Amino acid sequence: MPFINPEEKARTLYGKYMAICPTDALVVQVTRLIIVMAMLGWCAPAQAHHILGRPAYSLNEDSNTPPSMQVEAQIGEYLVSYMVFPAFPRPNVPGRINLYASHLDTGEPLTGKVTFKVREDGWFADSEEEVIGSQLPDDNVYRQGFVFKEGGDYIITAAFEAGNAPYLVDFPLPVGNTAPMGLLGVVIAILGAVLLGVSIAQRKRLTRAKVRKARQEGTLDARPTNDMEEL
Amino acid sequence: MMHPGLPPGWAALVGVAVVVLSLRTLVALRKPAVERQVRWIAPSAPGAIMRHVAALGPWLLLVLKIALAALFLLIVTAGLFGTPIPERNLATVLTWNVWWAGLILTIFFVGSFWCAVCPWDTLAGWLVRRRLVRRASPNNSLNLRVPRMIRSVWPALLLFIGLTWLELGTGLTTTPRTTAILGLAMVVLATVSLALFERKAFCRYFCPVGRTIGFYSQLAPVELRPADIEVCARCTSLECYHGTDRVEPCPTHLVMGRLTENTYCTSCGNCVSSCPSKNIFWRLRPPSIEAMQNARPHWDEACFMLALLALTDFHGITMMPLWKEGMGSFARLVSDSGTLLLSFTIALLASLAVPTMLYSGAVAVTHRIAGIAIEYKQLFSGLAFVALPLAFAYHLAHNLGHVVRESTGIWTLFSNPLGTGMQPLSVAEKQARHMELLIRPELLFTLQAGLMLFGFWVALQVLRHRGQRLLPGGALTGFTLLPMILLAVAFTGFHLWLLMQPMAMRL
Repeated sequence: MPFINPEEKARTLYGKYMAICPTDALVVQVTRLIIVMAMLGWCAPAQAHHILGRPAYSLNEDSNTPPSMQVEAQIGEYLVSYMVFPAFPRPNVPGRINLYASHLDTGEPLTGKVTFKVREDGWFADSEEEVIGSQLPDDNVYRQGFVFKEGGDYIITAAFEAGNAPYLVDFPLPVGNTAPMGLLGVVIAILGAVLLGVSIAQRKRLTRAKVRKARQEGTLDARPTNDMEEL
Repeated sequence: MMHPGLPPGWAALVGVAVVVLSLRTLVALRKPAVERQVRWIAPSAPGAIMRHVAALGPWLLLVLKIALAALFLLIVTAGLFGTPIPERNLATVLTWNVWWAGLILTIFFVGSFWCAVCPWDTLAGWLVRRRLVRRASPNNSLNLRVPRMIRSVWPALLLFIGLTWLELGTGLTTTPRTTAILGLAMVVLATVSLALFERKAFCRYFCPVGRTIGFYSQLAPVELRPADIEVCARCTSLECYHGTDRVEPCPTHLVMGRLTENTYCTSCGNCVSSCPSKNIFWRLRPPSIEAMQNARPHWDEACFMLALLALTDFHGITMMPLWKEGMGSFARLVSDSGTLLLSFTIALLASLAVPTMLYSGAVAVTHRIAGIAIEYKQLFSGLAFVALPLAFAYHLAHNLGHVVRESTGIWTLFSNPLGTGMQPLSVAEKQARHMELLIRPELLFTLQAGLMLFGFWVALQVLRHRGQRLLPGGALTGFTLLPMILLAVAFTGFHLWLLMQPMAMRL
């Protein structure tokens, strides 16, 4: 299921950008990336490199420029930096990804094609991916626009090949406000289960202790009667 | 942005002092060290203040507990629901810039007082005991004995290593949400432990923060002890250990009459309230006396103290500019990518192994030189206390730099703890914060240099006193302890070098 409305995509920055720039303007079909297969190296002659970077937020000196989220990480032979504008994307609001990759040893920027894909993030999320677009560098920077229909936690994957090795760069992209109610629910459930379990166990213990005590007292009272019966 | 390091002049001064103190100790080792008697500074102002505070006891503690629990819940709320910008969210700034850095500073003055007001324990207690102050009966716990296998500080040590891995390896400190999740996880652990096991097993065996505080508080100048030991010797009811109808027992199984170390005391004050003879008081003592003389060595505790030294050094190493480049190169060597967790994990394990191996080697040489019938393990455990002042001094000096340089602007966060509508810090704001210090840089450098020297001096005293106990008679000479003294010099030198390096800000 596409996350991005195709009609809206055409009207977005991406759509306009694709119309202007002489890049691969074909909209790639929704493909299913089988993560297990990728990890097993089915689709690639060499093991793909995965990245999940840590974001940092910055504000440019020009106050008209919205804040950006940026991540820099080392992946294989490359140092990859990507920035997301705005830093906190919202549903139905256009945004942009800027990606820059340079070789660690030579400093040469990456020049091949980069394909951007998106999928949902989360424990029970659908692993279906959608391709947002493919880009060639412009002034050594890969620019990819996006518009998300719905809020949520997503993973953007930037895929490229370099030195006959496939590279898959994953980074998180939260869109809109995502309340961690599930997490709180888990915490409350664990605490509740433990406290309830202990409470039940204690009641059983108390009941057993009472029964034991009653039996002992009952045994003591019954002893003279038994003796008399024996007599 | 990077903090400037300790100026070379200061480091050189400390270096010269270290050499002089080492030579002096080598000469002094020819004479036996005088065992110091602990004096209760009763009539002095600090002692009197402490007695009055202790008299208010449970109610004062309750007020503090409620306040800190409320603050903790605010931090969790801010972390889960607030802005992801770490500099604008109270959760990250208060937890990692103020609390985590400042906690070590408080130990120097008030020992393990934090444990008495810890919000994790407070919330766990309210959830399980369902009482605010008085003893709960029944206590709503299964009261199981902690299994013998984990009745040591190994669980706390493993959790401490895990916490360091999360903090430095996964960037936990830069994400408000994960900070809140970690806080909640600790509350869950504390609650489950309190519900299953007797007393406060979490505080005694599992809490990495509590055990760190416990070991460092051996160096603190305060302690909770009987005023008159004869009163305890005559006592047969042991209310301090068993509690009373209204007062909980000692949560960490301590008997005040036999207590010689702060390691497991959580400063809860139950013993003060329950003692029928009103014989338990807070008192001042010479700093570090416990590490020098009183604390009894155990194998697991020795390993914890060494790990404390190693991990403290590791913290400093990861904040240097060299670290990022080094990690990058190492990652390519081991084909690691992305967040470089594999490389980081290997480096963390190496950072634990190297100081341990150095210490083991120094002990082995000392064992060989001493030439008397003492078990290596006994010597290993007995001399491990030398790690405490070295770790504590560097930890204090390092954290002092963070607190002084990164706590400005914290008060504005209380007006908007969730950081709602806030933008990331601009370059100008970052630079302004970088220039604003809580104290003057010269004072900061003086304090850091002084701390390093103090730590080294205490380490020498530890070696001297402990060496005398472990190597009686003629076995103890300057030459015998030379390997250990050289080890202390090496660590101090390394710490000085670390302090001289520019250091990355936490946020």
